[in-house]
Amino acid sequence: MAGLVAGSTLVNRLLAATRYAAEPEDPEVPNEEVARILERIADGRPIRRGHVSLDMPVVAEDGRVVPIMIETDLPMTPERYVKAVHLIVDHNPDAHLAAFHLTPAIGSASISTRIKMKRTTWVRALVETSDGEVWADYSRVRVSLNGCG
Amino acid sequence: MTDTIGEARIKVPDRISRGDLITVNSIVSHPMDTGFFRNADGDPIPAYFIKQVVVTYAGNEVARFEWTSGISRDPVVSFTLKAEKEGPLTMLWTDSKGAKFKQSVNISFASA
Repeated sequence: MAGLVAGSTLVNRLLAATRYAAEPEDPEVPNEEVARILERIADGRPIRRGHVSLDMPVVAEDGRVVPIMIETDLPMTPERYVKAVHLIVDHNPDAHLAAFHLTPAIGSASISTRIKMKRTTWVRALVETSDGEVWADYSRVRVSLNGCG
Repeated sequence: MTDTIGEARIKVPDRISRGDLITVNSIVSHPMDTGFFRNADGDPIPAYFIKQVVVTYAGNEVARFEWTSGISRDPVVSFTLKAEKEGPLTMLWTDSKGAKFKQSVNISFASA
């Protein structure tokens, strides 16, 4: 019985791993700079889709001012909280656009701001929890007017 | 933008009760120059932007933002705060030339 339970846990884990690996909407890593940024944040941990919502317009008329909202449903308790939110814009000159370091006193990981975008690209929101998980959401934004010069 | 660089505002709800999860809205005047643009004479405009924001609440640091020039001109940022104590909420913006700009609001609880 114990073996069966352990076995099913393993199967679940494998299924979970497969599900993350096969996530069809995960954008490809476009270049070495973005690969380095993702590696620096994840530090060997899997980047999994979930628990994060990246809300951006599908089309940004003016790349100089693109609204962005990042939210998570992860807890903000002293035992477990979102310690950082990273914003990466793949084809911007400075792809790692911002990092927001948070503490439980913030109450919820929910950030809004306005950013510049050079051209049509994927935007990535990565969230690091205090217990070492990395969660992400992605959004592809079409940019009409270059906002980076 | 005609405002002076570094002029900042923080907005919190008018009425706050202990334990509320409030939204904090902020704005600071800053050109956030990327270094990729030129002025009318064709000279490059050097990069000049807010690179760090430190948020303290009742004396404790509760958040720290690291920015690049990819944040839009006159940066706005909104975040939440769990209103557990009365005291000042302070934001300190530091730009790439080392200039610091500070703004505070007092978090106090509405009496029942």
